[in-house]
Amino acid sequence: MALGAEIDPCDKCEELLQPFLDRELSDSERAEAEAHLDLCSYCRKRYRFEEALRKFVRQATVEEMPPDLKQKLADLRTPLF
Amino acid sequence: MGETTPEAEPRKLAEEARDRVHFEEEALELADQVYRVARRLVSTREEAEDLMQETYARAFRAWRSFQPGTNLRAWLLRILTNLNIDRGRRQQRSPDLQPLEEGDYYLYNKLEEAGREPNVEQERVDERLSQDDVVSALSAVPHDFRDVIVLVDIGDFSYADAAQILEIPIGTVMSRLHRGRRILKRELAEQTVGSV
Repeated sequence: MALGAEIDPCDKCEELLQPFLDRELSDSERAEAEAHLDLCSYCRKRYRFEEALRKFVRQATVEEMPPDLKQKLADLRTPLF
Repeated sequence: MGETTPEAEPRKLAEEARDRVHFEEEALELADQVYRVARRLVSTREEAEDLMQETYARAFRAWRSFQPGTNLRAWLLRILTNLNIDRGRRQQRSPDLQPLEEGDYYLYNKLEEAGREPNVEQERVDERLSQDDVVSALSAVPHDFRDVIVLVDIGDFSYADAAQILEIPIGTVMSRLHRGRRILKRELAEQTVGSV
């Protein structure tokens, strides 16, 4: 994923956002993204937002198991005798 | 090995019963975590409850096929996702019906355009997005993409585990996750900012 000279660095940084947060970039790609983020508040804000968004999605979608379901599942166990 | 004494058979049965009880207890301990994933793979709580009961009934019957020492939560989720597919809850979409994707900055840009720039310094995303927005947007993501988001971003499974659970190549997990997150953000933009 080497940068072509004609590609806008912010467009490239946007492309790297997900693999960056997933820690899927090579060392050189990561260094490239970090160097750009150090200089570019436009991208930096968007990266922080993505990080916060992921946490929020995880929290917002949690729905606890209904209490009686666990007993229903336990009732499915094979009787010992 | 090769034990033929009269005591061998009862001992074997007792060991098997002990292993089965151990398996069942471990599986039940994971039920809360399995439910959280199940709940977001289907539309309603009732569907999630049915799916959980079918999954555990099948797991308890097939407990011998679980390999001790491997990931039991992933094993249970594999049964659950297979049952979900078997029950015809998934509507396969052809590629041309998949929603348009936008870039990864799309949601932020839309919020900014609408004068609702997220306060990222304090990470107060919840000031701009509600829990209902997220749940609704996630349910609008096509199943193939949603399954991967639910397993990786909500269920905290690795790419490799998600690939095993869904029986798809790891590269497909990565591409669906990448595209699915973009679709999710587009849906969130629609939910929160309006027509896009």
